[in-house]
Amino acid sequence: MKPFAYRRATDARSAVATVAADPDAAFLAGGTNLVDHLKLGVACPSLLVDVSDLAADLVEHLPDGGLRIGAGTRNSDLAAHPVVRAHYPLLSEALLSGASGQLRNAATTAGNLLQRTRCGYFRDATAPCNKREPGSGCPAVAGHNRHHAILGASPDCVATHPSDLAAAMVALDATAVVLGPDGERRVPIGGLYRLPGDDPTRDTVLAHGELITAVELPAPFGGRARYRKVRDRASFAFALVSVAAAVRMHDGVVEDLRLVFGGLAHRPWRAAHAEDALRGSAPTEVALRAAADAELLDARTLSGNGFKVPLARNTLVSVLRELTDGAAEPEDDA
Amino acid sequence: MTGFEVRVNGRTHDDAPRPGQCLRTYLRGHGWFGVKKGCDAGDCGACTVHVDGTPVHSCLYPALRADGKQVTTVEGLATDGELHPVQEQFLAAQGFQCGFCTAGFLITAAALDDEGRADLPRALKGNLCRCTGYRAIEDAITGVKHVEEPADGEAVGRNLGAPAGPQVVTGTARYTFDVDVPGLLHIKLVRSPHAHARITGIDTAAALAVPGVRVVLTHEDAPQRLYSSAQHEIVEDDPCDTRVFDDVVRHVGQRVAAVVGETEAAAEAGARLVRVDYEVLPAVTDAHAAMRPGAPVVHDKDPVEARIARPADNVLAELHDEFGDFAAGLAEADAVYRGTFRTPRAQHAALETHGALAWFDAETGRLTVRTSTQTPFLTRRSLCALFDLPESDLRVVAGRVGGGFGGKQEMLVEDVVVLAALRLREPVKLELTRSEQFSGSTTRHPFTVEVEVGAKADGTLTALRVHVVSDTGAYGNHGPGVLFHSCGESIAAYRCPNKRTDAYAVYTHNVPSGAYRGYGLGQVIFAVESALDELAHRLGIDPLLLRERSAVRDGDPLTTASGAEEDLLIGSYGLDQCLDVVRAARAEPVGPVPGGWLVGDGAALSMIATAPPRGHFGEARLRLLADGTFELSVGTAEFGNGSTTVHRQLAASALGVATSRVSIRQSDTDLVRHDTGAFGSTGVVIAGTAVLRAAEAMVGALLGAAAERSGVDVSRCALVGRGVDCGGRVVPFSELAAGEPLTTTGHCDGTPRSVAFNVHWFRLAVDPGTGEVRVLRSVHAADAGQVLNPMQCRGQVEGGVAQGFGAAVAEHVDTGADGAVTTAAFRQYHVPTFADVPRTEVHFADVTDPLGPLGAKSMSESPFNPVAPAYANALRAATGVRFTDLPLTRDRVWLGLSRD
Ligand SMILES: Cc1cc2nc3c(=O)[nH]c(=O)nc-3n(C[C@H](O)[C@H](O)[C@H](O)COP(=O)(O)OP(=O)(O)OC[C@H]3O[C@@H](n4cnc5c(N)ncnc54)[C@H](O)[C@@H]3O)c2cc1C
Ligand code: SF4
Ligand code: FES
Ligand code: FES
Repeated sequence: MKPFAYRRATDARSAVATVAADPDAAFLAGGTNLVDHLKLGVACPSLLVDVSDLAADLVEHLPDGGLRIGAGTRNSDLAAHPVVRAHYPLLSEALLSGASGQLRNAATTAGNLLQRTRCGYFRDATAPCNKREPGSGCPAVAGHNRHHAILGASPDCVATHPSDLAAAMVALDATAVVLGPDGERRVPIGGLYRLPGDDPTRDTVLAHGELITAVELPAPFGGRARYRKVRDRASFAFALVSVAAAVRMHDGVVEDLRLVFGGLAHRPWRAAHAEDALRGSAPTEVALRAAADAELLDARTLSGNGFKVPLARNTLVSVLRELTDGAAEPEDDA
Repeated sequence: MTGFEVRVNGRTHDDAPRPGQCLRTYLRGHGWFGVKKGCDAGDCGACTVHVDGTPVHSCLYPALRADGKQVTTVEGLATDGELHPVQEQFLAAQGFQCGFCTAGFLITAAALDDEGRADLPRALKGNLCRCTGYRAIEDAITGVKHVEEPADGEAVGRNLGAPAGPQVVTGTARYTFDVDVPGLLHIKLVRSPHAHARITGIDTAAALAVPGVRVVLTHEDAPQRLYSSAQHEIVEDDPCDTRVFDDVVRHVGQRVAAVVGETEAAAEAGARLVRVDYEVLPAVTDAHAAMRPGAPVVHDKDPVEARIARPADNVLAELHDEFGDFAAGLAEADAVYRGTFRTPRAQHAALETHGALAWFDAETGRLTVRTSTQTPFLTRRSLCALFDLPESDLRVVAGRVGGGFGGKQEMLVEDVVVLAALRLREPVKLELTRSEQFSGSTTRHPFTVEVEVGAKADGTLTALRVHVVSDTGAYGNHGPGVLFHSCGESIAAYRCPNKRTDAYAVYTHNVPSGAYRGYGLGQVIFAVESALDELAHRLGIDPLLLRERSAVRDGDPLTTASGAEEDLLIGSYGLDQCLDVVRAARAEPVGPVPGGWLVGDGAALSMIATAPPRGHFGEARLRLLADGTFELSVGTAEFGNGSTTVHRQLAASALGVATSRVSIRQSDTDLVRHDTGAFGSTGVVIAGTAVLRAAEAMVGALLGAAAERSGVDVSRCALVGRGVDCGGRVVPFSELAAGEPLTTTGHCDGTPRSVAFNVHWFRLAVDPGTGEVRVLRSVHAADAGQVLNPMQCRGQVEGGVAQGFGAAVAEHVDTGADGAVTTAAFRQYHVPTFADVPRTEVHFADVTDPLGPLGAKSMSESPFNPVAPAYANALRAATGVRFTDLPLTRDRVWLGLSRD
């Protein structure tokens, strides 16, 4: 591990100023992702600015019926929050489907959204990787790519975004409140994440030194929602495929819906084609399948992840079936 | 930083952590050794502590952030000498084996609320246990009590707790690294980035310039002498192909140099700065390709000196044998099945990584090596041979060992610490990281097994052939032994007049394979049991019936393709009872199944010798202490296999005393003469026999001494709890201890050998849409002879089943084209968690073995073996698809279904 300095931030503005001024500085929140990367030599900042004491761990109601979640809110507190459980169960389900109790006790809302990919080559500081070292190549394209992307990838990077919470936040149409050196701006989470293109080093549209201070949720979407994660084993594994879905029915037709795939792309994948196909129609088995197929039409598979296409389709269809006809599916998550 | 202050278990520490230091190393640095490291990455939970009452992984928690907080480690759970209820519960249920994970589980469990307790699979996601299979942990947390307190002398056959239990649950058990050695230097290894290369130069100047770096050791400093990292009683069992540091590297991750520094950070910084020039050579990472003409040669060595069968063809060892006439047998068959089966590289994943310390005793100048090993005596012998040391100058000891599973029947770190200690004459330590454990220790041998089997219409076997290719990797440690063993009991388990075996252990430029629970048997059993099952389906007969017809029966000779196995016999037979258990389970109703899912069930059996062939020595010594209690010294090591518990039971029973009156010392070359060590499932059968013999000799000695002291004839003397009744007057043991010192020894040479049996059965449900498989029922029947401690034996079975289940459904060490391991963390290598492991019903056959101590047989490796084939067979029954490649991950299952 490279030696580095550590500073505890006392207010958001000066934290932003400090990090923005130093290209080798980074924010430290729960540390569950960043400390791991320091140890692995994947991240080598010279200065860590600890933002975990910024009292940004409040969950408050907003006048428009929405909810404001402080960026420092621990994953465990968020998952257990009574309002979240009652009105945004998608968030609780997504959080509880990932990591462990010990990790959730330390990890924060912003840290979770900004965690980096689990691509094994990215995490191995001795391997080439365009995301870590631009231009060094992407060994995953011809290597072990069982967990990698089938949508929106580029020849330069085929990594997936690992956050379960992010997929749920996109489905909830959440917005990140971001503080930069020039002031505050609001970034819809759906637009926060980038596709790799020819610059896989950047996961998000945030500039260096921009701090997420809160995440805001609009008023509850209503209807029924479900986060379903398919992985190799019952517990504690990152998603091979996940689906965050919310559906509002009216008179036997889908009034409105939100569908997001996790585990398939460099960002949570809003399944807009599938949404369009279903909105306003009856959720017949044929319609559900057609909607899923419409979304996956552009899927491009690698040597080891071809299974993800049908797996994603079947998972989406089964979640939608559950949300639209009420027939309870067998419990998947442990 | 000023003003840092943290309260740990009520004590204040105010020295500031280094920037970037995690809480785990800060706590251990202050002597809180109960905080363990299994991964250092948030995957295993061994480092869990409470910060202000909330459990977190201390390995990912920045130490600086603990400023002003209250930290509780396992050492702080008990208050005022009163154990915390979860500690009591873990003792009562014996919710541990090696105990390395226990502190983390206790801390997690202590903070559970009702909701957490109601959903343990989720609540315990952050804690891994490799030993128990989690049932015992579940019982501990839910308050089930298993431990009994039997009357004096009646310990055998009862559920006694492990002698070290109280230390394990309080975090005071001392594992390898839990010692504070003043002035300790740290070693970090430089490893090869190439699969095959010659080192043309090493520049250590930059590394040596790092402040705190003391020395860099390379092949120029290492003895020329070749050896094998494998530890066996007979040294010649393994090839001589390894150097401490070699000038040729043969796999990515091979160690190239050691940097010794005053701190870990200095050693690490130095290691990054060692410049190595390589001449890259062609490499071969596929075992079949390695045998083809023209393939790069891994070991260009003399076949006789190096003990390699055909070095130029990369064949380390081979076996070609035929019993009867295979071709004729095949011609007689009504049905024939031929299939090829593959098992992957797998990792032991013992929670405690490999590592060792070495220091010189200030007064005697004698060198002590403290290491995480299954074989202290063999390791001492190997080290002495390698460095020309007399055995009297070297002591090898093991602390409590945090899991082994075969991985620690290997010398992978001790040679380096001794080299460094001899050079610097200062104390040194080398502790592997989890990632080094994956890419620089050993793995289970990957096998490709072709099986051809023929049978009559009624299921009688007429011909059985296996063709085996085992990838031994870059070094041949255990390669021959694993190969020969793999084709032993797996084939001998079946009556068949015509058997043929062709088997090869092949060198490649991959990470070396080594000893792994089951020692090759599991790989071939997977193939044979799958093939027999398939044959039964083709013949249209019940697969269980086919096994009943064709498996060996009591009194049968045990024959492989090489004929009768030397000194191996069916000392006792419980396979029939095991098969009956499965038959009964199968007849019970299926229960609820999700709609649209496919259901099926399947079984597999396995047989295993109760000890390794050609000699395994156990040695024990018993001493009467001044206070009238006994000290039992055993040579073998305890790594969670529970042999110590049984040893104490055996000694206490023979002496007619309470187990509390027998204290145990072990795993120390200073204690007894020679002991082969803890492998090949010998802890109960061999070491236990030695203990029993020492105890029986002690009984004679006590009676004799008492007779002499009292003047009463020995025939009128009898043991009565704490003394000897001599014709009515009781002479207490403490009085006898005042006379001539009473010491007895017991010895066992491990021959002849018996066999133990295991049968596993699964009923599965499969979702054809996603490939998800759910275990509806899991039943295991074991013939362990007389079960000396049912609770513990059940724990061994469950642990073996859990590891077998991991191998069946999840575990695979992946390598790239250059052989580099790409799954070098628990994040990628999936050791089963609480939620993943199905609960298994365990049944024991009622059998007494004439060869084992008090009728017992071994039961530590064997439960692993039938699990994967039983799973594959159940999957076949459910889906109609024969899966031939492990592990049966969800995508493979799903692909298999969609292909059909
Ligand atoms: C073993 C393991 C298993 C896991 N399993 C899952 C899983 O199944 N599903 C899942 O979704 N996650 C999983 N995680 C990830 C875990 O949820 C994340 O590590 C965690 O949420 C990161 O939060 P943190 O607060 O610790 O972030 P940190 O590690 O402190 O920071 C992460 C990144 O975010 C940046 N950052 C932090 N806060 C801010 C801010 N306010 N503004 C701008 N930048 C910021 C940091 O600079 C850093 O780059 C797992 C992690 C581990 C270790
Ligand atoms: S997929 Fe992306 S993160 Fe992984 S190796 Fe390629 S460039 Fe790096
Ligand atoms: S050592 Fe911290 S989780 Fe494994
Ligand atoms: S007892 Fe859990 S890892 Fe050994």
